[in-house]
Amino acid sequence: MKKITTRALSVLLLALGIIFGMTLFVLRYVDEGRDWALYFAGANSGAGGELRDRNGELLASFDATRSAFSADGETRVACYHITGDYWDRSGTGALSAYWDRMQEYSLLSGTTKKEPRQFTLTVDASLCRTAYFAVGYNRRGAAMLMNYRTGEVLAMVSAPSVDPINGEVPVAESAFINRCLSATFAPGSVFKLVTAAAAIEDVPDLSSRSFLCEGEYTIGSVDIHCTGVHGWQSVEQAMANSCNCAFAQIAVAAGYNSLYRHVKDYGFLDGYELDGIPSVAGSYRTEFAGNPELAWSGIGQSTDLVCPFAMLRYVAAIANDGMLARPRLILTDEPAELTRLVEASTAKKLKEMMSYNVVTHYDPANNFPGISHLCAKTGTAETGDGSSHAWFTGFLDDPSHPYAFVVVIERGGGGLQAAGPVARRILQAAIARDGG
Amino acid sequence: MLSSGYESETWATLRFGREGVPVTHWENLIGSARSADIRVEREDVERVHAVLKRDVDGSWTLFDVFGRGGVWVNGDAVPAGGTVLQSGDAIKLGRTPLHLYDMSEEKRDKLEAKRSVAGKSVSPALTLLELTAFELLLLLQHLTTAPQERPVQIALGFAVLILLEWFCYYAMRLIGRSGFEVETIAFYLTGLGLSVTASSAPQDMFKQTVLILAAFVLFLLLGLWLRSVRRAEKTRLAAAALALGLLALNIFTSDSLNGAKSWLQIGGFSFQPSELVKVAYVYVGAATLEKLYRRRNLLGFIVFSAVCVGALALIGDFGTALVFFICFLVISFLRSGSIATVFLAVSGAAMAGFLAVSIKPYIARRFATWGHVWEDVYGAGYQQTRALGAAAAGGLFGKGAGGGWLTEVVAADTDMVFAVLCEEQGLIIALCAVLAVLTLSFFAVRTARRGRSAYSSIAACAAVTMLMAQMALNVFGTLDLLPFTGVTFPFVSRGGTSLLACWMMMAFIKGSDTRRGGSFAVSPVAELLRPAAKGEKKGGGGA
Repeated sequence: MKKITTRALSVLLLALGIIFGMTLFVLRYVDEGRDWALYFAGANSGAGGELRDRNGELLASFDATRSAFSADGETRVACYHITGDYWDRSGTGALSAYWDRMQEYSLLSGTTKKEPRQFTLTVDASLCRTAYFAVGYNRRGAAMLMNYRTGEVLAMVSAPSVDPINGEVPVAESAFINRCLSATFAPGSVFKLVTAAAAIEDVPDLSSRSFLCEGEYTIGSVDIHCTGVHGWQSVEQAMANSCNCAFAQIAVAAGYNSLYRHVKDYGFLDGYELDGIPSVAGSYRTEFAGNPELAWSGIGQSTDLVCPFAMLRYVAAIANDGMLARPRLILTDEPAELTRLVEASTAKKLKEMMSYNVVTHYDPANNFPGISHLCAKTGTAETGDGSSHAWFTGFLDDPSHPYAFVVVIERGGGGLQAAGPVARRILQAAIARDGG
Repeated sequence: MLSSGYESETWATLRFGREGVPVTHWENLIGSARSADIRVEREDVERVHAVLKRDVDGSWTLFDVFGRGGVWVNGDAVPAGGTVLQSGDAIKLGRTPLHLYDMSEEKRDKLEAKRSVAGKSVSPALTLLELTAFELLLLLQHLTTAPQERPVQIALGFAVLILLEWFCYYAMRLIGRSGFEVETIAFYLTGLGLSVTASSAPQDMFKQTVLILAAFVLFLLLGLWLRSVRRAEKTRLAAAALALGLLALNIFTSDSLNGAKSWLQIGGFSFQPSELVKVAYVYVGAATLEKLYRRRNLLGFIVFSAVCVGALALIGDFGTALVFFICFLVISFLRSGSIATVFLAVSGAAMAGFLAVSIKPYIARRFATWGHVWEDVYGAGYQQTRALGAAAAGGLFGKGAGGGWLTEVVAADTDMVFAVLCEEQGLIIALCAVLAVLTLSFFAVRTARRGRSAYSSIAACAAVTMLMAQMALNVFGTLDLLPFTGVTFPFVSRGGTSLLACWMMMAFIKGSDTRRGGSFAVSPVAELLRPAAKGEKKGGGGA
């Protein structure tokens, strides 16, 4: 018996192992518990959180036993790409991105609700609704509206979208993708804003030069077609005409290095974060591949791809004398963080061109009633299969309505025809919201 | 419970020369070795020479272990089956004469009265009162913190549990038992398990309540059955056959569920045969002292173990196979004391394990995930990352019973139940649950030293080993300290068969507790030699 009872102590080896393991766990718990607890594992994890728009309208609310989105179905769908859903299917929603900020954690009490519970975003739910339904049920596209003075994003919608309340219902193809941040498109003529900037800075006699358009321009063995025969034009007229022949020449005049540098400096090749929610990088040919290719790239074709969010940053900087207010999604009282993106003189010239575009070519009285000081550029980017992406981007040069916007309608047709009305409805709603 | 007074029982006196040695167990090894229970330091006495064994009826039997030195009683050599001794008989080990003097009932009563009574240092009623308060709080939380389905079933479940606790307490008092530590721990863990069921599957509350009652009845029956070691010893073969039969049934009839075919459907009830086999394994694995020294017995046990572990591997239940293997190591070490045997077993198992990992891709995957769960939160690391997140979200005091979300994750209430405890009850209660099982193990090891028979000591140690191994795999798997194996946390994980098995394990621990008034599974000293109690009812109890 004695032998057995002595050997029985071996059982305690296992107990010792368990004590060792539990000690290890407790140490890790103390060390990493915060990260574990605040990880978004479905919206009921942790103590829960609550998202509201800038006016206090409820977007989403969660705790361990209850989950709720806006009671209004249109708001839920329009704001889906802002909020995300219970399962984090979009991967880019504020719920998962800000989960760790929506609740408190302490070793003692674990996750607890943060007081005040509201986590307020810069967006305006009613503007988002307007934007979403302006893009439309049957189209794919993205629209963003931002205050270029403060950097606050007021609307961000992507279609098709999802009703986050029901995980069982099948959704449209690629509906989980936020096309504002997570997609890139061929830019077409909106890219001429970049080519123009390169030329303004690197073609010394640009303002005294004229560019001939005969409806077609041959460079090397490549023919670049135009929408019309524009004749001799200044750079402003070429921009307003959105003349491919002229911009092919302007791109070659500026040269590959200048163009590439500007594309890079303006942030088109980088991914950014909209207050912690990542955006994707665009692309531009990284090596000089001959003048014909350079000419193509100067008019937003070739391998050019642009994320709508990057385009919004660019036009917002142009609107704000070249200074970019860091785009924000979380509402704070802190002043805008300004950085220079575009030379002031370049921004001034681009602004004049964009204003000239609208006045001379976009028929603002009919197309944009009630919207003054509009500066914009259209884009109709050929996708190669006969369809084209419709772009419309710009801003209001008006201190009382300091809004920059970007609209992309995927395979939507002409920029002014397809994307212009979307911008009009968003801008009208934004101006109305400001009280005229 | 660990600090209570713990003196040996004394059953007889063995005299050699002028020395008188108290006989403190029912099975005693006589020899010259330091480890012998009765040490006779003479040149002609072998290190391990003879075994002196007492039976329930008070008779003593002497066995010759190796037969080299020779053992004689009253001049006759002792045969293989042993020789029954009378008080005062002359024994000869080699040339050394010994005399066995049985103890008079009066003297034994006097000695017994001097021993501390179990449960004296900490009042069992007070602990039980605290436990009741804790369980009432749990119930209150369930009824208030969350919008509950079926509040009546939940309240009923807790009410039955609390009533059962007090019934058990008074019933034990009635038959003069005051040792209540093992029961209290088991009830504590069972209560936590009931709370987990209320959180994750309130529709199963009624079933769980019935299972608790059934488990308790089985605990009583097995405990009473174990009062007679001879009875247990004789039925070992039958238990082994039953175990193998269950495993065979499992292999050939059940369908695959979550990769493992470990469930058996019988008449609408699904149960896991491997859980009952655990009980049988302990039952079969333990052995009385005189049998331990026969190599053939150990060999039989090794073959039986290999078949069990192999069958579980075949079923695909590698977690349980591992638990069995750890238990096998402990039993075989207890029985043989041979490090070499254990080493051989470990290397054999390592090879088998390697084979299993290379053949079964899902096991290899779990090994690959081990330590890297945060790198694949939507795939292989899904369960553990959720478990860790929920565990940390609970803090030290938890979100309250029913207030957690982890129960929505598949298998949270079984494989990841430790994290559910952390989330709902807090880290402190969860660690207490682990501590409770560890306390059981310390208790079992301590009582094993005073066990009357090697059988009950080995069984108690094997039972706690089984529980601890299971808990270690469950907890450390959940917390990514070991690969995820999907075994249950004793008592707490939802699952009927597991609960039955755990309670039956408790009977083994009770069976080795020889404190005065310590255990219903041990016949009290006072009853043993009274004529009325003589020749204990054979075949009674739970056949």
